[in-house]
Amino acid sequence: MSFVTAVERPKNAAPWSKISAGLRIAMIAGSVIPLAIASLVFFATGWDFMVVLLLVFLPLQIVGGGFAGFVGYGRRGILDGLLVVVTLFLSFFVLVLLISVLWSVIQAGSQALSPHFFYQNNRYVAPTSDLSFGGVGHSILGTLMIVGLTTVITVPLGVLTAVYITETQGKSRGFIRTLLQAMSGLPSVVSGLFIYAALIASGYSQFAGYAGSLALVPLMLPTVARVAEESLRLVPKELRNGALALGAPSYKAFLMVTLPAARSGIITAMLLGIARVIGETAPLLLTTFNANETNLNIFAGGMSSLPTYLYQNVNLGYDYAVDRAWGAALVIMILVGVIFAAARLASNSTPSAKKGKK
Amino acid sequence: MSTEQPVAKPRRLEAKPFLLADKIFFGLANAAAYSAIVIILLVLVFLLGRAWPAFAEQGVLAFVTGAGWDNSTDPILMRIGPMLYGTLLIAALAVAYAVPLAISIAYFIEFLAPKSLSKIATLLIDLLAAIPSVVVGLWGLMVFSPVAAGWAEMLNGGLSWIPIFAHEEGNYLNSPFIAALVLGTMIVPIIASVTREIFSQMDHEVIKASLALGGNAESTFRKVILPTSASGIVGGVLLGLGRAMGETVAIYFVLNLVFDRFNWAQILEPEGGNVASLILSKFGEANAQEVEGLMAAGVVLFVVTLIVNALASFIVAKAQPWRKAQ
Repeated sequence: MSFVTAVERPKNAAPWSKISAGLRIAMIAGSVIPLAIASLVFFATGWDFMVVLLLVFLPLQIVGGGFAGFVGYGRRGILDGLLVVVTLFLSFFVLVLLISVLWSVIQAGSQALSPHFFYQNNRYVAPTSDLSFGGVGHSILGTLMIVGLTTVITVPLGVLTAVYITETQGKSRGFIRTLLQAMSGLPSVVSGLFIYAALIASGYSQFAGYAGSLALVPLMLPTVARVAEESLRLVPKELRNGALALGAPSYKAFLMVTLPAARSGIITAMLLGIARVIGETAPLLLTTFNANETNLNIFAGGMSSLPTYLYQNVNLGYDYAVDRAWGAALVIMILVGVIFAAARLASNSTPSAKKGKK
Repeated sequence: MSTEQPVAKPRRLEAKPFLLADKIFFGLANAAAYSAIVIILLVLVFLLGRAWPAFAEQGVLAFVTGAGWDNSTDPILMRIGPMLYGTLLIAALAVAYAVPLAISIAYFIEFLAPKSLSKIATLLIDLLAAIPSVVVGLWGLMVFSPVAAGWAEMLNGGLSWIPIFAHEEGNYLNSPFIAALVLGTMIVPIIASVTREIFSQMDHEVIKASLALGGNAESTFRKVILPTSASGIVGGVLLGLGRAMGETVAIYFVLNLVFDRFNWAQILEPEGGNVASLILSKFGEANAQEVEGLMAAGVVLFVVTLIVNALASFIVAKAQPWRKAQ
């Protein structure tokens, strides 16, 4: 018996991943030269930026990418260079769009922000009054209450639906999953119309906050159920079976073994569901009406919420009203950002948890 | 030599709940699962119940395909043909704009970018998906519309000999073109995250084999990666399409609705249609009959999106065998 020592991998074991000096120079040249020519054209002729970008920079850049590919790998490399250039260009375009959205919300929204913007309501605000008083306090409270009630209804429903899909041997599991998928595409207006038809048009109730909550339930349920299902599925079967083998009844096995193991996933499900409905406007416009004053009763009277506040102010169209709308947009984005960060933390606390976002 | 023993079939283990508490637990789970069916049915029942008079008076086919909306005549005239066609047109344009962007992002994250960069890109895409549509709508109205109107003017200037880019009035704002771009921005993350997941679940042996056989990155992408993931991407696209057809407020902000004429393909003209925006714009001062008409419009929208989404989930399930319910 001779002991085999592990052989060190030779340095040239991956020749394909090496980049030769010539290719490196070609890559740098292929990226710098088009940029230089395009900026020269842009500043010398004063053409429109988009024209220069699409008609001067992009063709040159494609030629440059193809040239770099040709230097590195011969004729086979030309199309590779093109592929890299085009995908990078389009990805960069998406990035620019995203940053544009975020930047405009932060930049225009921060103009409207002031301490009183967070806690005052709109009781004495006319469409033309400036930003020295009035704010979104009543809308923040309204959003918290409406979405809170929706969460209280939806999370148990969604988690139990996920339990049905993962823990039982029910006959219609596949059908329920398909149905939830289809439900995730339910137009939000239709959800609002449904509650309007069922509760308000039938004379059963007035416009009220809880009607808005009910209208958000069908929109939130698919997200919660799907993410909860993913996280329950990640719990190893052995844990469950071990508990059952030790004589635990199924409900105890679920409550004391499976659920704690999937806790962070359930929390993520809840947060993603909230993020899905916190900006929904149309169903609330059809069910909660609007209010300029703080209303703490969710079962009676109109109730303002952040998205409807934004919508109303955009419709007014006056400059100050539009500023207020931007302020409301920034407050919504702050809320979404907080939820998003919390969801990240929750889902990262278990290493195997997947981000079930679609 | 012994003869072969007949092997018993493996039995499926089934635990029947016999404790009361277990029965309650499973009963609750069943009830919750069937509540999804109940909700869908309730939506249909209530909307149809309210919309029935409108359907009966206008005629279903005329309501869906005709044009015009006038509440001053008697009987009142309600037709949503241009709105329905506009919804489909804008959603199709938005998808055509979003798909290349989404596939690029997914390819970049999975195959091009180093690990650290792809993590950041994934985070950004998720963040874009989390931005509420009303905020994107506000951005589309205030920031993006003027820019996109400039693009539209350029398209018209350079390509006006193509019929769809023809343009008569001087106003380039509020056109289906701009609405489609705003909507496309909204559905890029949806399509991108589905595509990225399909790419990451792909069998990397196949890709390595293609490279080993002398394929380059481009031919591997075109002949191996795309065909293998095509059905999954189609499912993701249909999910995005469903979302695009149900979008309300953002379209309402950036589109000028025209009820009495079909705008078949003049995407730069400020005339468009969208069922959800119709409901929103008419709801405020609708009389009782009009509310019935709006309910009917809601029914039509619901049925169309339900068909698209059922198709999408069917295709995604076919494309992702690892997602089968165990």
